[in-house]
Amino acid sequence: MSAPMIPDTNEPEDQTFGDIVWIQFKKNTVAYWSLWGLGFLFFLAIVAPIIASGRPFIWDAGEGTSYPWFSSLFDRNYFENPVDIFFNLLLAASIPVTLLCLYRLKSIRSMGLDKRPRRARIGYELRVLVGLLLVVFTGTLFQTHSEPYTQYFDQYEARVEAGEATTATFPIVPYMFRTTGFKSLEKPSGTHWLGVDESTRDVGVRLLYGTRISLTIGVIAVAIYVTIGIILGSLAGFFAGKIDMLIQRLIEIVMSIPALIIILVLVAFLEKPSIFHIMLVIGLVRWTGVARLVRGEFYRLRGQDFVTSAVALGYPTHRIIFKHILPNAMGPVLVSATFGVAGAILLESTLSFLGLGDLSAPSWGQTLSEGYSSGAWHLILAPGFAIFLTVSLLNLVGEGLRDALDPKMRK
Amino acid sequence: MFAYVIKRILLMIPTFAAISLVIFVVLNFAPGTPGGQMQTGEGGGAQDASTAGEQRESYRIFKEQFNLDKPVLLNTRYELGRSEIETSLRHILNENGDVAPALRIQAQEDIENWGRYAVPGLMDILQDASAPASLRALASQRLTFNAQIQNKMVYQKNLSDEERTEVKRIAKANGQVRAWSFSTEDPAEKVEQTTSDWSAWYEANAADWTYDSTDKLSILLLDTRFAKYWENLAKLNFGVSHVDKRPVLNKVFSKLKYSITLSISAVIIIYSISLPLGIWSSIRQNTTADRVVTTFLFMLYSLPSFFVAVFLLNLLTRGTPLQIFPTSGFESLDTSQMTALEHIKDVAWHVILPIFCMSYAALAAISRYARSGLLDVIRSDYVRTARAKGLPESIVILKHAARNGMIPILTLLASLLPALIGGSVVIEVVFGIPGMGSYLFESINVRDYNAVMAVLLISSALTLLGMLISDLSYALVDPRITFE
Repeated sequence: MSAPMIPDTNEPEDQTFGDIVWIQFKKNTVAYWSLWGLGFLFFLAIVAPIIASGRPFIWDAGEGTSYPWFSSLFDRNYFENPVDIFFNLLLAASIPVTLLCLYRLKSIRSMGLDKRPRRARIGYELRVLVGLLLVVFTGTLFQTHSEPYTQYFDQYEARVEAGEATTATFPIVPYMFRTTGFKSLEKPSGTHWLGVDESTRDVGVRLLYGTRISLTIGVIAVAIYVTIGIILGSLAGFFAGKIDMLIQRLIEIVMSIPALIIILVLVAFLEKPSIFHIMLVIGLVRWTGVARLVRGEFYRLRGQDFVTSAVALGYPTHRIIFKHILPNAMGPVLVSATFGVAGAILLESTLSFLGLGDLSAPSWGQTLSEGYSSGAWHLILAPGFAIFLTVSLLNLVGEGLRDALDPKMRK
Repeated sequence: MFAYVIKRILLMIPTFAAISLVIFVVLNFAPGTPGGQMQTGEGGGAQDASTAGEQRESYRIFKEQFNLDKPVLLNTRYELGRSEIETSLRHILNENGDVAPALRIQAQEDIENWGRYAVPGLMDILQDASAPASLRALASQRLTFNAQIQNKMVYQKNLSDEERTEVKRIAKANGQVRAWSFSTEDPAEKVEQTTSDWSAWYEANAADWTYDSTDKLSILLLDTRFAKYWENLAKLNFGVSHVDKRPVLNKVFSKLKYSITLSISAVIIIYSISLPLGIWSSIRQNTTADRVVTTFLFMLYSLPSFFVAVFLLNLLTRGTPLQIFPTSGFESLDTSQMTALEHIKDVAWHVILPIFCMSYAALAAISRYARSGLLDVIRSDYVRTARAKGLPESIVILKHAARNGMIPILTLLASLLPALIGGSVVIEVVFGIPGMGSYLFESINVRDYNAVMAVLLISSALTLLGMLISDLSYALVDPRITFE
């Protein structure tokens, strides 16, 4: 396929920038395993309903067999939060999507493309996949409620007490994060691994489903503010002059208002904040750091030869900004975004700790705040450890990434 | 240097103005209304129930007092005609029973907010004998409220004699119009009588509702929330709290001493521990001790401060298992019997845990910066030269290397201050310290609009001040920075 003058690009010295960073990142074992740890958290978030759900997989109540667990996955009455619906969708789609990815990967490999075009192809298809997921995610927001849900677990118990012949196969933990009725403040035991909270709900299940909330808030809030920061920062850095001055002043003003305080006030003034409001508020307040970073990178890169030649070639401005300068400025942004996810998770749990968050979502901060008011140790340590674990995994990955991107650290 | 400081301080004024503009816009356009919970739980037209009516009236007075009845940016209410008012009244009356509750609440709000601007339209309806009786009755009832003159001086203290007579005059006029209402069951004579009373009154006061173009312009721009806000801000008047009707600014200043004590002690502790620690671990780079310290600092950095606060509170103050420190507050309840020394000791005993919780995360971060800052310079030529001259290692590190390596740390002060001010909210709430943070939290919970605004503005001003100090100290330490 390839013309003879093109050297064989499969030789080991043909390393893309991504390859170098990845090799460097893998050398840092702690950061590497932290990445796996984060992957495991995402996995837990996705499979949460398999571990804990109040609806049985198979329910044989005499009149016939039904499969309530499967129908519950997309039921807005059972999983009230759109985030849950989205993760359930991921769960349902996980096997076909993985198979599809593997198949596409194989077929792209067999196309006989060189390394770089092949990478570009994979990258393109990956972006399409992520875009589709985003569309689906937005779609779940607009799904409306149907008829009210019935508590299968209660029904089941009632039927068993009535002596009716029922067989049901429940998940390992046969109740949901909002199932109440256990002994208030019960210490960790065989049935409730992490104990029961003040409002008589199982702490372990709440923490498990809280993973979904925290990860979503972290990722989406950061995605919002990184987008704002990149747009404003690249405008300021590329055009300089008056636009730069204007954006600089704007950054200065937003920076001078203590972020936590303005976020607290904004969330509190919303009558019923959902976790989407919280993401939006965090995203709209915290973009200044990224904007400054991108602006600085643009200033550094603007005078370099590759930009000058792109200008000389007569490329349109948007192409120079997005295809030439921005990819070179993305490294520090990625690092700052990783730390930012940790920061957003902390912010969200602070808000829910203060009782200002989405009260219907099983947030970690909410459990901790019950620990504060009741003084029960298991309500303090369990959510505290969950937050600490997530935040430090993210910080470790961020540090590893920063070191991997730093040419001074390469040996 | 002096000129530079003056210039910086003068530059802070437009920045601060812009900040207050941003805060104003954000608070006024954010969904949800201030004082919102005062109004929830009441239907739109529950006028007959006397308690609901009273609540409604106190909510109306509250809005009036805090300028919330005014439009945000532009006031075009001088153009209010009969048709808009009639629509709103019909929505409130809801005779066919088909008006949505939200629309009725909105109509009620509108009529209240229009205040005296609605009087001509209401008079028009009242005088129109062909209008339905129920509509005319409601118009007369609304007039008893809407025709009243706003009397804000009532909320002030220390009025002069002239002001006092003015207040009395307004109160008398308002008392007069308050009685002139009728309901649909009243006999025709009463309706006639009230209508003629209103007509006479309207003619006597007609000048109040004839607007020429300058009047219109001043109403359009000045009788708005935005204009009132700036007017008050320029007078450094942040208004009164709607909880206890006392000036917000005094309250915030009285709270400020607690928060400032905490923040400044935290900054001092952070810098006095993290700099030596950073230097210490950088000269032991890659030894076991360095690794242990670095890892420990990293873990500290990742621990959420509210978790640490709750953890320590439960561990050390509640007697589960230990009771070493007091559970909450800035000082003991009764400090009058203490000597000065005992008082200081008492305060210190109360604030040790909060200050620790405020400082440990920044301490960890800054130690790590200090370590890498020193590592950057320790291999530079001039440090080698200093060693080659035969200077003792302590002088090489502390005098030659550390001074340069620590300069970037000073700029961190600028970002440290907003973080400390923000972070103190949670810590103050957990430890029950009556500072600015817990005041903000309380005010948020009762939607005390003025208090929230004041705390936001003052904390932003403090942040600006912190940035100024950080810039100046940066310039003082680094001789390469000039003020030209």
